[in-house]
Amino acid sequence: MRETQGTAPERRAWWRGHVGHILLIWAGITVAGVLFGLFLPPRLMPQPASGTMHEVRLTVIVFTVAAAPVAALVWGIALYSLVVWRHRSSDVPPEDGPPIRGNTTVQVAWLFVSSFLTLFLLVWGLGELQAISAQASPKPLVVDVVGQQWMWTYAYPQDGGVQSATLVLPVGRSILFRVTSKDVVHSFWIPNMGIKIDANPGVTTEVGVTPDQLGVFNVRCAELCGLYHAYMESAVQVVSGSAFTAWVRANGGRVG
Amino acid sequence: MGETATVGDQHLRGGGVMRRLNAFTGVVAGIVAAALGWGISRALMSGPYADDRTISIAMVCWILGFLVGVGAFTGPVRWALGRDLTHADEQFMAGKDQGAFRFFRFTTDHKVIGVQYLVLGMVTFGVGGILALLIRTEAARPTSTFGPATYNAIVGLHGIVMVVATIIMIVGPFGNFVMPIMIGARDMAFPRLNALSFWTLFAAVPVLLSAIFLGGIPTGWSAYAPLADQAPPGMDAFLITIILFVVSSGAGAVNLVTTAVTMRARGMTWNRTPIFVWGVAVTSILGLFVMPAFMASQVLEGLDRTIGTSFYIAARGGSPWLYENLFWLMGHPEVYVILLPAVAAIMEITPVFSRKPLFGFSAAIIGEIGIVTLSVFVWAHHMFTTGWAPALNGPFMLTTELISIPTGLLILVIIGTMWRGRIWTRLPMMFVYAFLWNFIIGGITGIYLSDVPVDYQLHGSLFVTAHFHFTLMGGAMMGALAALCFWFPKMTGRMLDERLGKVSFWITQIGFNITFLAIFYIGLQGEPRRVADYPATFATGNLVATIGAYILAIGMLILLYDVIWSWRHGERATSNPWGAKTLEWQVPTPVPLENFEVLPVVTSDPYGYGEPVQPVAASVATGAGPGSPGLADPGRLTP
Repeated sequence: MRETQGTAPERRAWWRGHVGHILLIWAGITVAGVLFGLFLPPRLMPQPASGTMHEVRLTVIVFTVAAAPVAALVWGIALYSLVVWRHRSSDVPPEDGPPIRGNTTVQVAWLFVSSFLTLFLLVWGLGELQAISAQASPKPLVVDVVGQQWMWTYAYPQDGGVQSATLVLPVGRSILFRVTSKDVVHSFWIPNMGIKIDANPGVTTEVGVTPDQLGVFNVRCAELCGLYHAYMESAVQVVSGSAFTAWVRANGGRVG
Repeated sequence: MGETATVGDQHLRGGGVMRRLNAFTGVVAGIVAAALGWGISRALMSGPYADDRTISIAMVCWILGFLVGVGAFTGPVRWALGRDLTHADEQFMAGKDQGAFRFFRFTTDHKVIGVQYLVLGMVTFGVGGILALLIRTEAARPTSTFGPATYNAIVGLHGIVMVVATIIMIVGPFGNFVMPIMIGARDMAFPRLNALSFWTLFAAVPVLLSAIFLGGIPTGWSAYAPLADQAPPGMDAFLITIILFVVSSGAGAVNLVTTAVTMRARGMTWNRTPIFVWGVAVTSILGLFVMPAFMASQVLEGLDRTIGTSFYIAARGGSPWLYENLFWLMGHPEVYVILLPAVAAIMEITPVFSRKPLFGFSAAIIGEIGIVTLSVFVWAHHMFTTGWAPALNGPFMLTTELISIPTGLLILVIIGTMWRGRIWTRLPMMFVYAFLWNFIIGGITGIYLSDVPVDYQLHGSLFVTAHFHFTLMGGAMMGALAALCFWFPKMTGRMLDERLGKVSFWITQIGFNITFLAIFYIGLQGEPRRVADYPATFATGNLVATIGAYILAIGMLILLYDVIWSWRHGERATSNPWGAKTLEWQVPTPVPLENFEVLPVVTSDPYGYGEPVQPVAASVATGAGPGSPGLADPGRLTP
């Protein structure tokens, strides 16, 4: 990237030339991107009601922060080229630019950095998966979820087979959803808990979560499933352990 | 000339029918055949599958009738009769001396086919765009305006119309028109196959649009089974369209690859072959590998719908996961089939408007081949949440994230080319900058989705919708628009009006960014895709997105007006208005029928900007115009 056929009589230090200016722009855009990543996604995403959702939110923040310098470099160079290297006329530029056909150092450095970033993404993702599965207990509360056009129904096989059209979960307990469908493919999604798994006809899929917030949250279908897909929405109530026991008894089950 | 006409007259007696076939006779024959097929199968069939069978048969009859009527089988029929096409017949098929009429015929000239693809692509984009506006109109406010049935039908149709349009938007018009000239060839390797692939696609479009009247495609463009089994006959239109589209794009891809491999000018070694040709060739190879999976998925779906097999019906032993795997085996490489030619066009355009050589020719090729190779190993990242193979989520996360390395290389090539260039911000270059802005956003948001836990949250939400619109529309389509503005003078012989183009550019970019940044917003909030109605939480973001969509539409309409106006009244273009070095700019405008009077010999790559000697082509025809002896020349070089 150094001047190859420079006309300037004295040689300026590299940081006072194009590279230095672009580094400044780069730093500016990076800071803006990092601030954006730290403040915006956490405010937009649903409030976490499980450890899984905390992980998801953290990852979105970390990835935005990690991506900021990359985007800043590309946009910085693009912006700089528009301002400084622009030919301000609609006619063909009278002279060509310098015939730079490549730069091994830059290309190798670029490959190295992008490979390193990719490795980071992968390690981060695997660590996250590990952290999420570590939250599951070996003896979870099993909830059978059945999707059909256009509603969800729930059964609690460990609690005397209580059947319910609303989902009630005890706080702080590891839950295992066993999900299936009666007709087409649905997708069982609790946005505040960061979990989603398809409900397929003929097979059972599983997803686990440990709710850590009391409250009422949405359950949505996330796979287009026909006419009233948009309305295939219901609620999950996360209640205290004793309230859950009471709810099971009131619905004719026994706490297992 | 006189001699040619005499030869033609002699053959008019033998092959007169061929000279009377055109798109109109094709449509008439197609409609007659469809009516016959419909009537006969209506009379013969009953039972639960009768409707789907009748409609499918009518559609297949339309295709065959149309192709016969348009003259697609003239060559094979004459060959079977033992009278192969004469030179005069070939010249007639190539559209010699026919004026505008040749655009409505089974014409084999690659330049005619390129223009036909361009117009068909613009019409398809128009239909898809109107459907997009209807989607945003429905979603402007909570509560459903059109009702969920209409909304679902529109969403699926918008999806597939746009997928078809974006797949053809570069390899169709520019791959056909520009690529053969760029490599110094007189036509494609298989000119009749080329025309066949265009007219097959042409015939598929009315089939697809007929879905509007057959209950729509209420499954989304992904048409997941078993939802597709419940769908009305619009679904049959969908799957027949897909089968035809795969045939058409497969024939086109074989042709483009063969042309690029075997018909390059003498001296055009692979390291002197323009990067756009590389892009079109590797993309076509990728398409050849993956598109058949799409066809297979729809053939099986068609069998489930019409003869009662149960490939995807769980109750009878089938599996929806089979469909999902087949579909995404095509579905993810397909986005690179859309993206790669766009990036290749941008890499072709950037040196011209930076007046610098391409930065890292080998890096560009490694990047393209890397993407093509990796892209066939990433499909199951669309299936992280399906429960198909949870143990494979980690490996598919790896392959998906790896693909950012070759993609990054291509970005380096583009910004490296700009580095210290003489940046000439004409309209094509503006689209390159728009590409860099939009595609970086699309790429970064793709990284979130590659991460398994984050995908558990965001899959199936509008975040995904915004992500792929930023990559495919904000990214790939900017490449297509750059290519359109860049090659417009060569294709139409006139300059695109730049003032109007710039107005349209800014309106389009602002509208696009408002729309899809707002859709990122509601996607992060947790609104699912493809919903006709939503809770009040999402109201603000949706309203903003709809306003953005209307702004975007205004920008696109201005561009459409600009294209039509400039095509008819624009300033006449010189043969090389951009001072570019690739071969297509060294031939006259309008390009003569056989492109080159004398085939060129290439001695360097076309990126020698700023270098002392630039002998791109040692001998290139410069003065060939109408009436030149080039066509009747018995000693013409054939590759």
